[in-house]
Amino acid sequence: MNGPNSSFFLRHEFLIRRLHSLSGLIPVGAYMVVHLLVNSTLINGAGAFQTNVHKIHALGKFLLPVEWAFIFLPIIFHAVVGVWIIRSGQSNHSQYRFTANWRYTLQRWTGVIAIVFIFTHVFHLHGWFHAQWWLENVAQPLGMAQFRPYNAASTLAQGMQNYGWPPFYLVGILACVYHFANGLWTMGITWGLWVSPAGQRRATLACAVVGLLLFGVGLTALVATQVTDPEEARGVEDRMYESEDGDR
Amino acid sequence: MSAPTPANPSSPAHPTKVNVRVLRQDGPGQPAYWERHQVDYEENMNVISVLQKIAAQAQTVDGKKVAPVAWECGCLEEVCGSCTMVINGRVRQSCSALVDSLLAENATEIELRPMEKYPVIRDLVVDRSRLFHALKRLQAWVPVDTYGHLGPGPRINRPQQEEMYPLSKCMSCGCCMDACPQYQKIELQRRPGESDEQYQRRKEAAYEQGFVGAAPISQVVLFNSHPTGKSIADGRLDALTETGGIQVCGNAQNCVAVCPKDIPLTKSIARAGRAATLHSIKRFLEK
Ligand code: HEM
Ligand code: SF4
Ligand code: SF4
Ligand code: FES
Repeated sequence: MNGPNSSFFLRHEFLIRRLHSLSGLIPVGAYMVVHLLVNSTLINGAGAFQTNVHKIHALGKFLLPVEWAFIFLPIIFHAVVGVWIIRSGQSNHSQYRFTANWRYTLQRWTGVIAIVFIFTHVFHLHGWFHAQWWLENVAQPLGMAQFRPYNAASTLAQGMQNYGWPPFYLVGILACVYHFANGLWTMGITWGLWVSPAGQRRATLACAVVGLLLFGVGLTALVATQVTDPEEARGVEDRMYESEDGDR
Repeated sequence: MSAPTPANPSSPAHPTKVNVRVLRQDGPGQPAYWERHQVDYEENMNVISVLQKIAAQAQTVDGKKVAPVAWECGCLEEVCGSCTMVINGRVRQSCSALVDSLLAENATEIELRPMEKYPVIRDLVVDRSRLFHALKRLQAWVPVDTYGHLGPGPRINRPQQEEMYPLSKCMSCGCCMDACPQYQKIELQRRPGESDEQYQRRKEAAYEQGFVGAAPISQVVLFNSHPTGKSIADGRLDALTETGGIQVCGNAQNCVAVCPKDIPLTKSIARAGRAATLHSIKRFLEK
């Protein structure tokens, strides 16, 4: 019963857990799919990628509020509640070795990996804060805040040249994609979309296909950062920039 | 024509002794400790017959005299659930756990532990009152408040019966909760000078905050689909969306894997999850 003495979280447990479940797909999961798709266009060359990044940055002054409302805050909400959920459970996969129990445990581990990955990833390429003193005195000396939206491909390829980053991103992408795909499956049970055991088995297959496709997309983006030559990309970006200037 | 082979030939591979390791506890809040026992092997033994021998011997494998190991049982045919314990690391009924198949899992010994999520009363006997409290919380019954004859109830058609019957096989044994990673043990210690009533009230208040578990969720699905039981469906869904309700489930699906009655618990959870969401939206709009 919703007693007066229980914490805010416990009193609104149902609503919060349903919102957490929803936020995994909308907007966090949907954002991740778009994000990986856009990044994978780097495989088509610096020009294609720059065009897509331009489209995103065409939001101009609206970009920051949109990012906060639809990306950062939902991820923070999902992550904070996610950690609370993880703490409320007690994994027992070593005792009960069923596949679904492994998936439950992995859903939690990959959630934790996702937090570490996302925070590091945003620091690495974006720098966390826009304040000049922070970028100049902290982020850049640490080799972070690498990405420049108007030199998208070249700065990204440059930032990914260190040997440590590709494996780090591989693990991060793998964890996030597993978490999303398996999350879709649990979500379908939570909301009662796949109900019967046979339906849940078919849904497992469908979610696995979604996961594999998405992992392919993510891997394409990662490979693209490795095969893109920063110098060459820089040339393409400069030419695009000049021709745009000429248009005006 | 050759002589028919006996259904269960005695094999020389059969052991003469069975080693048993029991996790004992003298009372609530006391430390748990392992004890080794050994009993004579007999054909077709189950864990209950092993426990009977252990109690009769009342001595460990080293010959030390000990108080008999305590356990519970009732029906001896896997319908009452009272004999549930953790056998070789898996929660199940000791009456239907056959020694031969346990030895096939692990030939050296049989390991017996009390259930993990319920407070131990003594040795293998646990207090499962939280389970029954959850059934009360969710009003898992058909409300008929008279002893008078009401005539025949509403007809339940065949497809409905086939949906409901498997759910009605639940014996409230607690296996599904014991194996659930989202179901945590709630154990209170009695305070000095506390009366029975005070202790009971404190226990119930604690149960109110805990996860109800898979079996009671499945019972909501059963009674909410019953033509008469339906009349209090909204109240059940209210209770199911309160603290410790269906939202606590994390879809590990251990419940369905360990249920001795093969009850489609995850199907019930999905059905109840959908109903609970729709119900809470309805409640929100009614406010
Ligand atoms: C890339 C970012 C992420 C995406 C796309 C994502 C997506 C999802 C999805 C779709 C679900 C399924 C919801 C359900 O079962 O109802 C889910 C569940 C979950 N997520 Fe995330 N998530 C992300 C990041 C995180 C992070 C950072 C954490 C924190 C550690 C986390 C913890 C969890 C947990 C614990 C669950 C299970 C919830 C439950 O079983 O009820 N997730 N996630
Ligand atoms: S599906 Fe839900 S109730 Fe069943 S074991 Fe998993 S968490 Fe527990
Ligand atoms: S659902 Fe199955 S495991 Fe759970 S209490 Fe009922 S019979 Fe036991
Ligand atoms: S004694 Fe009733 S189930 Fe085992």
